[in-house]
Amino acid sequence: MPVKNVKSEYIVQTNQLTKIVDGKEIVKEVSIHVKKGEIYGFLGPNGAGKTTVMKMLTNLWKPTFGTVELFGETLTPTSYDVLKRMGSIIEFPCFYEHMSGRENLQLHCEYMGYYVPDSVDHALKMLGLLEAGDQQVKRYSLGMKQRLGIARAILCRPELLVLDEPTNGLDPAGMKQLRDLFKMLCAEYGITIIISSHILSEVESIADTVGVIDHGRMMKEISMQEISERNTAYIELAVEDTKKASYVLADKLELKNFKVVDGRTIRIYDDGADTGVLSKTLALNDIAIQFIGRKSESLEDYFLKVTGEGNGL
Amino acid sequence: MMKLIRLEWKKNNVLKYIRNAVITTAVIAILIVMMAGELVRSADEIDAEYLYGKGILGTTVELFVHMVYIVFTGIMLASFIVSAYAKKTMHLMFSYPINRKKILLSQMAAVWIFNFLAMIVSKLSIYMILVLTSSFTEISTVDISFGELSFWLDILLGSAVMVSISYIALPIGVQLKSSKATIIASVIIVCLTQGNVGSVRLVNNIPFIVILFVISVLSVYLSVYNVETKDLS
Repeated sequence: MPVKNVKSEYIVQTNQLTKIVDGKEIVKEVSIHVKKGEIYGFLGPNGAGKTTVMKMLTNLWKPTFGTVELFGETLTPTSYDVLKRMGSIIEFPCFYEHMSGRENLQLHCEYMGYYVPDSVDHALKMLGLLEAGDQQVKRYSLGMKQRLGIARAILCRPELLVLDEPTNGLDPAGMKQLRDLFKMLCAEYGITIIISSHILSEVESIADTVGVIDHGRMMKEISMQEISERNTAYIELAVEDTKKASYVLADKLELKNFKVVDGRTIRIYDDGADTGVLSKTLALNDIAIQFIGRKSESLEDYFLKVTGEGNGL
Repeated sequence: MMKLIRLEWKKNNVLKYIRNAVITTAVIAILIVMMAGELVRSADEIDAEYLYGKGILGTTVELFVHMVYIVFTGIMLASFIVSAYAKKTMHLMFSYPINRKKILLSQMAAVWIFNFLAMIVSKLSIYMILVLTSSFTEISTVDISFGELSFWLDILLGSAVMVSISYIALPIGVQLKSSKATIIASVIIVCLTQGNVGSVRLVNNIPFIVILFVISVLSVYLSVYNVETKDLS
């Protein structure tokens, strides 16, 4: 019997989700909050626990501790009705390879109890597979199978799409096509989409919110808007002697907020810092400047910061 | 449930299995006619009572058909269920808004119904071929009595029990995620059920068959009991 909760603003919510397999904590106390109609980028290095969380969201795996709430209901082992409202790809899409792409989609409709004329053709067309629809799936390339998997996931017009690394095996044009498709599905049909990825650029341009997971722990959950608001522009400086340059920055220019990134790079976050003044002062103090320029923090920078300099990427 | 069974047949290409069943039945029929014909030709050298004794022909037909269909059931269980776990199409099945026990039971039922019916059709076809060709082959078909209730009960009950016993192979295949293991287990079941200990045919040993039947029921239970709560690896 599904447990009804007080209506939440979130369509997907996990509470302290933990998964222990063979005594090892794969996912620890992960709390996710996904609003209706948004694209949620679930980011993390390989092996961070993204797929495990996705499996628990789709009820393929059961949490050791914690709960998953979908559409305001706590997921139980027998929560079948919510599955009707979801489309998913976990790890890689599997098909009945001896059947054609079209037959696979028709079979999916039968199991989902979804009978809308032309829905199969429509889904195939959306993913550019209309011509290949009658070919056996075993003749499909990896990219075609991935697109067919997405066609199947969106076929029954789900309210929620859970996509685990959906662009695996796609070329850059295919990835762009999918990003556009996801944006369209979200904007026109109000579908909520959770996309996991370890490729930041894939998510950066489409996500409304990102959750960053590393070593099974949720490191940060933040909206892209907040990232851009927080987005501290900085001046990046490449010099031969960072020690001497740091002394000049602190002592002569009285800058307090800067960081030596590596043996030759310094980032200056002080609002009042000016590239012209910096160049002149450093030159006057005999410090050779190899590069100076203003930069802004990308999602990648943010991700690397949150996951500890991108270990594992 | 019937719809799920029908979909199982559709996606597993049941026509292929029908074709194989027809070919197998024809091969068994030819083999038995040849064997019996050979016995008739050398009848003067052997005990006439042994040759024409009650049930000898029936026993041979049952033996061959049971052997073939126990393995056939194993092959189908491997294809319908075990390979679905191995190839992860079971992930897809379990993402549907359908009770998982029902999904598994429908897969098992699809295999059971097919093999039960195929076994009956196969036995009847072979018996009919033997009867129809008896005037040419001079094979005695006195023990093939279509008009007797016991004949039909033997066929129905024997087929149902043998197909059911084949399910002992299922949890072995599922546990090992191996179609080969399922089929090897089926071959072992053939040896167990169709073999002899001394002059006693094990298939005629009622307590032994009852034990195997109970194990097969347990096997089905083991394959479904925790499917709702178990992680799908």
